[in-house]
Amino acid sequence: MRGIRGLAVVTDPPESAGSLADRALAHVDELYGLAHHLCGNAADAEDLVQDTYARALAGAARFEDGSNLRAWLFRILRNCFIDRARRRNVVLEIPDDTLDATVVDCSPDQLRYLTAVEVERAIAALPVEFRFVIYLDVEGFTEAEIADIVRCPAGTVKSRLSRAKARLRVLLGGSK
Amino acid sequence: MTDEADRLIDAALRDHARVPAPARLKRKLAATYQRRERRWLAPALSGVGGAVAAALAVWLIMRGTAPTAPPPGDELASLDAATEAVGDHQRVLGARGLGVVASDMHQVKPWFAGKLDFVPPVSFLGDDEFPLHGGDVAVFRGHKAAAFVYGARLHVISLFVYEAAPGDAAAADEHTIRGFHVTTWTTGGTGFALVSDVNWDDLRRLRNRLSQ
Repeated sequence: MRGIRGLAVVTDPPESAGSLADRALAHVDELYGLAHHLCGNAADAEDLVQDTYARALAGAARFEDGSNLRAWLFRILRNCFIDRARRRNVVLEIPDDTLDATVVDCSPDQLRYLTAVEVERAIAALPVEFRFVIYLDVEGFTEAEIADIVRCPAGTVKSRLSRAKARLRVLLGGSK
Repeated sequence: MTDEADRLIDAALRDHARVPAPARLKRKLAATYQRRERRWLAPALSGVGGAVAAALAVWLIMRGTAPTAPPPGDELASLDAATEAVGDHQRVLGARGLGVVASDMHQVKPWFAGKLDFVPPVSFLGDDEFPLHGGDVAVFRGHKAAAFVYGARLHVISLFVYEAAPGDAAAADEHTIRGFHVTTWTTGGTGFALVSDVNWDDLRRLRNRLSQ
């Protein structure tokens, strides 16, 4: 047995997990990107990604060959993030999924030359659940896949994406 | 108008939302999980014969196949350089002007003569995608360093060239600090730190041109 930064205990994975580890490690940049936006600092983001791999590879036997490895890893990262928030007594904002997006118009000129700093700040200002859907959308997941990762109906994902983008329009449109 | 705004926001997210994992995290994960695979391999090799297994192990290590964790000093040095580069880049952005403003490297490099203790080994002259804007003398890790400023559309990219410290890693490392992307590497005793708010694809493309 082997501990990872004192947060998770990893048992040696079964032999069949060898190639799974390699394939899983190929997604570290994508997972870290989401962790970065969820945690807001590098140290916590690295811990979260390490927790994710520890949990994923300890439970490698539960991964079904042929299923979506990326989605599986993102789902585990989400679970790890929620568990960490609970341990720290952090209350995550639950968005009201019955609300419609408010369409806000803003000048495209304001949005044409956005910098990484402005985008990062705007994402950080979103509720956590909005950050999940926005980032998973950037990573190319379909609404159905995002729904499977965040465990909510596809209609809810669609609504959250729409509202998250509406908020980004306000945050980024007014950032210049 | 809203469709156009959505399209621009989507483009900005694609360009800037992705943040690569630090090299130290990748090394740590590889060392943790890939080492196990080698441990499973060992009993199989012992059946082939101790000498063959040992020779194979030596060969793997010589080829660098086995992940080796670099000394912790490498990681700290890379992060230190990246953090300093971001601060210096912000000073470049806020400065009223550069020491030398020229798009011709043959004007910029000679300008450094007598101002630095070394000749900055930068041969990329700039091109249509990354035009050279000029250069200046910066102070990097307490020593004089060369700052080259390139453009990318409306963005500014700073390249700091400095004398590398013994702990600096040769391989390119990448960091995102306060939204700025930074990549550092060393070649032949010279350290390079490239920093900007452009997306990673642009920054890596410029790094490749500088490394050629």
